Order: sequence, then C-alpha cells, then structure tokens
Amino acid sequence: MSMRTMASKGLVNLILILIGVLFVVPLLWVITAALSANASLAVQWPQPVSFGNFAQVLSAANVRAFANSLSLSFGTALFAVLFAMLAAYPLSRYQLRFRRPFMYTVLFVTGLPITAMMVPVYEVYNALNIVDSLFWTGAFLVASSLPFAIWMMKNFMDSVPVELEEAAWVDGASVFGSLVRVILPLMRPGLAAVGIFIFVGAWGNFFVPFILIQSSQLDPASVTIYQFFSEYGMVAYGQLAAYSILYTLPVVFLYVVASRWLGGAFNFGGAVKG
Amino acid sequence: MTTTPATLPRASAQESRTRRRQAARAALFLAPAVVAMTIFFFGPVLWTFYISFTNVALTGPTATHYQFTGLKNFSIMFSSRSFWQAVLVSLYYLAGSALIGQTVLGLLLALLMQRANAAVRAVVGGIVIAAWVIPEIVKAFTWFAFLSQGGTLDNILQWLGLPQPAWLFTQPLLSVIVANTWAGTAFSMMVYSAALSGVPGELVEAARIDGASLWQTLFRVVLPVIKNSIMTNTILITLQTLGDFTLVYAMTGGGPGTQTSVLPVYMYQQAFSFYQLGYGSALSMILLLIGIVASLFYIKLLRVEL
Amino acid sequence: MLKTGFMMKALPGLMAVAAAGGLVSTLASGAASAASFKGQTLTIAFQVYGGGNQNTIWLTAVKKQFLKMYPGVNVTFVPINASENQYYTKLDLMQQSPRTAPDICVEDTFLVNSDASAGYLLPLNKFVNQWPAWKKEFYPPMQKAAEATNGTVYGVPFNTDTRGIYYDMPMFRKLGVKVPWQPHSWADVLRMAHLIKSKEPGVVPLWFMSGKPMGEASTMQGFEMLLYGTHNTLYDNRTGKWIVQSPGFLDSLQFVRTIFTQGLAEPLQDALTPQSSVIATQQLMPQQKVGMLLDGVWEYSNWLPTGGHPWPQWHSVYGVAKMPKQNGGGYTSLSGGWTLSISSKTKHAQLAWDFIKLATDRNNMLKIDLLDGNVTPRRDVAAMPAYKKAGQGMLAQFAAFNSFTQFRPAYAQYPTISNDIQTAMENVMTNSATPQQAMQQYARAVTTYVGAKHVESAR
Repeated sequence: MSMRTMASKGLVNLILILIGVLFVVPLLWVITAALSANASLAVQWPQPVSFGNFAQVLSAANVRAFANSLSLSFGTALFAVLFAMLAAYPLSRYQLRFRRPFMYTVLFVTGLPITAMMVPVYEVYNALNIVDSLFWTGAFLVASSLPFAIWMMKNFMDSVPVELEEAAWVDGASVFGSLVRVILPLMRPGLAAVGIFIFVGAWGNFFVPFILIQSSQLDPASVTIYQFFSEYGMVAYGQLAAYSILYTLPVVFLYVVASRWLGGAFNFGGAVKG
Repeated sequence: MTTTPATLPRASAQESRTRRRQAARAALFLAPAVVAMTIFFFGPVLWTFYISFTNVALTGPTATHYQFTGLKNFSIMFSSRSFWQAVLVSLYYLAGSALIGQTVLGLLLALLMQRANAAVRAVVGGIVIAAWVIPEIVKAFTWFAFLSQGGTLDNILQWLGLPQPAWLFTQPLLSVIVANTWAGTAFSMMVYSAALSGVPGELVEAARIDGASLWQTLFRVVLPVIKNSIMTNTILITLQTLGDFTLVYAMTGGGPGTQTSVLPVYMYQQAFSFYQLGYGSALSMILLLIGIVASLFYIKLLRVEL
Repeated sequence: MLKTGFMMKALPGLMAVAAAGGLVSTLASGAASAASFKGQTLTIAFQVYGGGNQNTIWLTAVKKQFLKMYPGVNVTFVPINASENQYYTKLDLMQQSPRTAPDICVEDTFLVNSDASAGYLLPLNKFVNQWPAWKKEFYPPMQKAAEATNGTVYGVPFNTDTRGIYYDMPMFRKLGVKVPWQPHSWADVLRMAHLIKSKEPGVVPLWFMSGKPMGEASTMQGFEMLLYGTHNTLYDNRTGKWIVQSPGFLDSLQFVRTIFTQGLAEPLQDALTPQSSVIATQQLMPQQKVGMLLDGVWEYSNWLPTGGHPWPQWHSVYGVAKMPKQNGGGYTSLSGGWTLSISSKTKHAQLAWDFIKLATDRNNMLKIDLLDGNVTPRRDVAAMPAYKKAGQGMLAQFAAFNSFTQFRPAYAQYPTISNDIQTAMENVMTNSATPQQAMQQYARAVTTYVGAKHVESAR
C-alpha cells in the first residue's frame, strides 16, 4: 500500500470516527440521567451512581407493558412479513394489468399520517366490536404497514433470478413449495430488513394502541412511557431516561441478532433497487 | 418461425390457461394482504376523505350531528395564514432533514465506509443505526435534553469558550432538522451501502485511470449507476418525513410561534387540541397530495421507471 | 339555531332521566335497592398522568367502601394514561357509543358544556336536587362550573384550582417591603417588579406565562388573570357573543408588553418554551432567583417530598398574594377543575349516581383534594383541620380565593380562541406587533372562526 492510499485511508477512518462521535454525543444525557438519583435536563456526572431509577421503573405494571409491546410488535412484524411476501410474489413474477397502479397506490398511501386516520379507524373498530384487543390492534398495525412492506418485498423478490425457481419446478416443486424452499432462503436479508422495520415502527407507535386499547393491563410500553410526564410540565427525568434505555434495548438487541444471523449483510439495498 | 397454423390455437389456448391459472394464483396470494388493507386501512382512509368535507368535531353540537359542508374546510384552509406557514415549514423541514441531511450524509457515510477499516465501519455503522432504531419519543427527549439550556451541547460549547444560544428558541427549525437528520440517516446509509456494493469496481478504476478526479468519478460514474436507488430512497424518506409528527411535536410543540409547525403538527392541533376533526382530516388529505406530487416530481426529474 | 337544536336533543334525555329519577326514588335506599343492583358492572374512566395516580388511589378507596354497601356489584376502572388533549380525544371517542361509554367519567369542568351539547352526558338535576349536601355545602361558583349554559347540571365537582402571586418573602423584607405583602392594583405589582429589577440583579422580577409554547397556561395563568381584573371579559353571556375588542383586552396586552420589553419578566427564551414553568419552579425558585410568579395553587407541590424538586425550605421563602384588579376594588382569580359525570349512554344511572355521591362525600372529597393538593369545592371540607393544615396552610390560602374566582367561557370554540390569545400575547411580548395591532389580528382571527354574527366589541 502506498503512503498516499494509507494517508487517505487514515483520513477516511478519522472522518468516520468523528461522525460517530457526533452521533453518540446526544445520547450521553440519557445515560447520565438514568444513573442519577436527581436528574434534570442538564448533563452531569451522576454522584453517586445509582440504579434506583431502573429499580423503580421495573415495576410489575411496566414489565407487563414491555411484554405487551413485545407480543404486539412481534405479531405485527410476523403477519405483515407473511402477507407481504405472498402478495409480492405475483407482483414480482406475473404480468398483471393492475400491477403498476397497485404499486403506485401502495407507495403513496405510505405518506398518509396515521394520526389523522385514527378517529375513523376507531369508528370501524367500534362497529366491528373489536376495540380493546391486542390482536386487533396488531391487525391495524399489520394493515397500515403492508403497503410499505409489499413495496419493499416486491423489490427484494425482483432481484431473485427466476431461473432458480424454474429449476425447482422441473424437479416437481409447486409454486408455493419453490417460494418457500428457493426464494425465501435467498431473501433472508430482505425478510429481516422488512421485519425489523415493521417491528421498530410498531414498537415505537403510541397513538394507535392509545386509541384502540382501553384496558390498562393491555397497554404497551409506548403508552405507559407517559407516566413520567405530567400536566404542568413536571417530568421525572431520571426515570424517563432509565425507562428509555430499557425501551430501546430490545430493538437494538433485535438488530444485532439479525445482522449476526445474516453475517453482517443486513441492509435495505434490495428493497430499493427498483 | 415454423409454427403451422394448426398448432397456433392450441398454443394460445394453453397460454390462456396458464394466464388464467396465474390470475387465480395471483388473487389467492394477494388476498390476505388486500383483505387486511381494505378493511383496516383503505376503509378508514376513505372515511377520512369523506369527513374532510364535513364539520364533524370531537365535542360540541357537531360531534354527533355534523353536516356535509362541501369544500368549506379547504377554502378556510387556503385562506389561512397558519396553513401556508405550515406548508412552508414542512417544505424547509423536508429539504433540510430529508433531502440534504439524510441523503447527503447517508451517501457520504456509505462512500466512506467502502474504504474504511472493518472495525471502524462496524462501530460507526452500529452507532448510526442505533440512533435510527431508538423509539421516536425517546429520540425527541434525547434531543430536547441535548439542546436545552445547561444541556450537553451547552456544556461542550462552554468548555470550548463559545457562546451558548438557547438553540430551541433561537434556531428551532435548524434544531429539529438536525435532530431528524441524526434520527434517519441510517436508512439512507444502508440503502446506499448496498447500492454501492453493486457498482462494478472496474468501472471506477477505469475512470480513475482515465484521469477523472474524485468528484468526476462520483458524479459521472458512480451516481448514474445507482440512480434507481437514489430515487426510491428519496421517495421513501420524503413520504416518511412529510408525515413525521412525534419528533417535532415532542421537541418544540411546533413553536416558538409557528416556526416549527410542520403540517402534521398543525393538523394534530386542529383535530385534537381544537377538536376540529373535519378540518384536521382535510389537512391530512393535502399532506397526502403533497407526497404524491413530490414523488411524481422526483420520478420525472430522474427519468426512471418504478 | 344552535340553541333550539340542542334543546330538541336534550329534551328526550331530560324526560328519560325524570322518569328514571322517579322510579329510583320509590326504591329509596337500603338493602332492597342494594340487592337489586347485584351483578351490575360500573365502569369509571379517568385520567392518570405523570405518576399522578391520585385519582386511582381515591377511587380505589371509594370502590372498597362502595362494594361493602352494594355487595355483588362490580366496579371496573378505565384509567387513561395521557396528557389532557389525548385524554379528551379518547374519552370523547368512548362516549360516542353505548358499547364503549364508561358509566362514570372524570370531566374537565371546562368541557362539560361542549360534551353535554354533543349529547355525551346525563343531566343530573333530579339527583342533585334530592341531595341535601349539594345545596348546603358546595360553593355556588363550583356548581355553576358543572352546569351547561342552560342551567342543567352535568357533574359533581370534586376539585378546583385558583391562581395568585407567589412571592419571595425574604427578598421582599430585604427590600424593605412589609410581609405579608398584598398589592391592590396592577401599578402596585409593576412598582414591585421595578424595585426588584433595580435592586436584585440576576433575579426575574415577575415570572409570567405568556405565548404559545405554554399553551393554555399562558391564557389562563397569564392573560385572563389580567383581563378578568378589568371591566371586560372574553364572552358576553347576555348576548352570547365573543368580545373581540375591548379596552380591557388592550390594557392586558399593554401589561404584557410592558413587563417583557422593560425586562420585568423572564427572558423570552425562558418564556417561549413548553418548559417555562418547570424552569421557574424547579430550577430558579429554589435558588431564589424569582421575585414573583403568577401561577396556580398546584405549583408548591413541586417542592413537597413527593414533588419534582423536593425543597424543604420552600415555606419560609414563598408566600402567596391575591392578584389585584387593574385599578383596585378587589381581586381576581381564574379556576378550572374536575367533575364526576355520568354518561348519557349508561344503563346504571342510579348506581352510578350512588357511587358519585359516595366519592364526593366529606371524607372522600377531603382525600382527593389533599392527594392532589387542590382547592375543595365543599365548605365543610374547607373547614376540616386536616385541610387547613395542608401545604403548611398554603392550600387554605388559595382556597380562600374561591370567593372571587371566575371561570373561562366553557364553549367548544374556546380552545381555538385561546390559541389566538396566545398568538396575540406572543406578538406583543416579542414586540412584533403593538397591543392595538395584536388585538385587531385577534379580532380578525376570531371573527373568521366563529362568524361575524357571533362577535362584538365592548367599551
């Protein structure tokens, strides 16, 4: 390696490290506040370091809220990925007359702010008598993430060569069989990317479960986080920070596991190759 | 072509049979998604569309007995200064955080990572992605604390001997733009990393050997190859940024004044603080329209097929 | 139009309640009626926010007593964990359908009127008329707050709040001002602010909520505390119109301009943030960097051991004074507060009423009012020693403001109009409009919103 390329490589690493530092600095407060017994908005080294906030935050009700979040988000991601995968197959493989308008519609509705729709959604749910159920709340989250999921999944599927499938057909596999045995394994990164994207969205969503769920024992963590705020601007910063860390961990964990499983190939590349 | 006329009808019959079978299978495969979306998503969307032409409210006399008021919500909207202000703020927010911030920084990160040390790539990539996966409300609070008076940023500036303006007050729009750039860059970074890995190395080398500068190589060789990725990424983050609500609302509440009142925040206030559900729905229809127009604009600009 | 429409809708409801009331009164109280409720389930919706589960503690205690009186009855809680806007969105949605409507809900007095006109609430006149405590113990202004504009009662208030001036007693003594201090006009307040400014550098003379980020707090703790001390108000009850231009409105804006442009109020960056009151009460007041704060009764609870910033010495530092009217001749305070109301869709009206009656009796009312440190709507509670001692006597001082306090115009349009007031305040405090211009902009905005037929100017 020449001096020149070594120097430029060093520069590249340096810039990246700098950007990394810039990205990590805003997160410092969350950590110091979580470990501090009397945290405020100001960042200060906790004296003494205390885990009291975490102990307080880990109440039975909050643990239940995390469990609710987990089942809601996991269920949503699972069904959305399954439905999107099935829908993506004909859209990717067949010459369908309605394909283009369908894809455009599906793309554009992703721009609708869900907040605006929640009152009509509630009316529909009330008419069907399915308010106050984690399962049906998940059903809405599935339906509202499907447009994006189908869109991404179709693009992933486009990048899987048809020839592989045809070989499977020759060996006597059915269409569904080849989808499961040939296409799916090749789409692992895509499935993980879409699944995590939907999981993250459902995990952080406040307004949907807030409107559609009534029993407090069904509330997910995104709703119960508001216990740390109050009417006149009083906020329990330390507990909020501790709760935030616990709230973020599962998502980060999921990401790490997924990228390990995929050998570091986790990316959205396939989704947007068009 | 040696096909005899006699075999033609048989071939087309077979073809049409395949087509019919394909259509049936397509219907079967699409059914779960279409049924779910129709009941739970498109139904409410149509309902939202309908009530945007009514005076329905959450409380008061028109909560239960509302009327169809035609285009009144829209005419009120178009003559309202706060609405145009919200449109303008939304466009700044979109341009600043999505188009300039996330795409440019995302592309820069992707380009740098191609040449970086594996360890640096893993750690920095991990940090950037961590910022993205953090739940929205936590992001908002993190940034609120970071920028507030006596917050981390003030401490750093003080240490450097620099002035410490009240960021959320003096530079509210810049503050939310930077926060959203931080929050969303990972997505673009991942998209571009994947796209760049598909650019043939020989192409870049050939250009360098021909004496092209770094910029020339980037703009004449690399970017044209990943044009499709650029466009779809831009559309996706545009639609997401336009509908973005939590981050801005929790950081600034749309203020001071209306300086960060992006359309979803304005809509939320109208619908849920002032109980004007009909008007709020009309606003969301406009938001949808802006998203469509922006997407079509990119498609035209970059001359690509979806 | 609007009025007749409302009456038409309310009439059948009124008649139904009249019938139900008659039926129930024949059953009277006692074992027979208690048994007849067996197997019924009451649902109660209320707001919980900020770890503030006072409502939960109170209602849980009431529930326990209630179940002893009515064995075999179920009481289910629907706690809603959200800010006020979100609580309202949720509650209004639930109230629209018999299937989801809670039998009892906790209502903001301010929204009682709009929710009643939306047909969500059950008139309670039949019930309160047969309840001796209603006439004897409840302060009339509180009763009025639980009524719709036509006089129909829609809830039983269980707490309220009043507003006044917190002031730094040691600082005032140091400046040679006699404590307890009580200003008698706006000029007295401004004179004091000027004195603090000249003698105590680094101290905010008068912390005053203003502008949009603080939302309703700016309107209620700030602007209306001024306006309702002039000859004018926001709404003309006689004509049913919004008053969009008046000398009082102009003078109130002038006051805002004076304090913010002459350095008598907090710096703009501390005013124009949703955290304004937190900065004052949790950061600066404990350091004695605020001379006066115009705010509500709840603020001292920040400094209690359970509050956001425990501060044991608070009581020897901050005292409270009444907010004077503009030119003397009395004092002013604004009040909000909460009621227990019954849904119009309930199938258990009598049982729900019995629960409310129990929840708002003397002892249970004392419990909730002490829990959230708010002003009680009942005379007999105010006279109890436990109440008089609360908050080192601060609570009782604020409770005394009950005699002159006023309420906001309780109409569905109010939140939008309140937002226009905040805009006017902000334009004036940032000096981007004169009070005159800001009032004209306000008049235009309100006129566009409610229609030219529903506004007027006052002299």
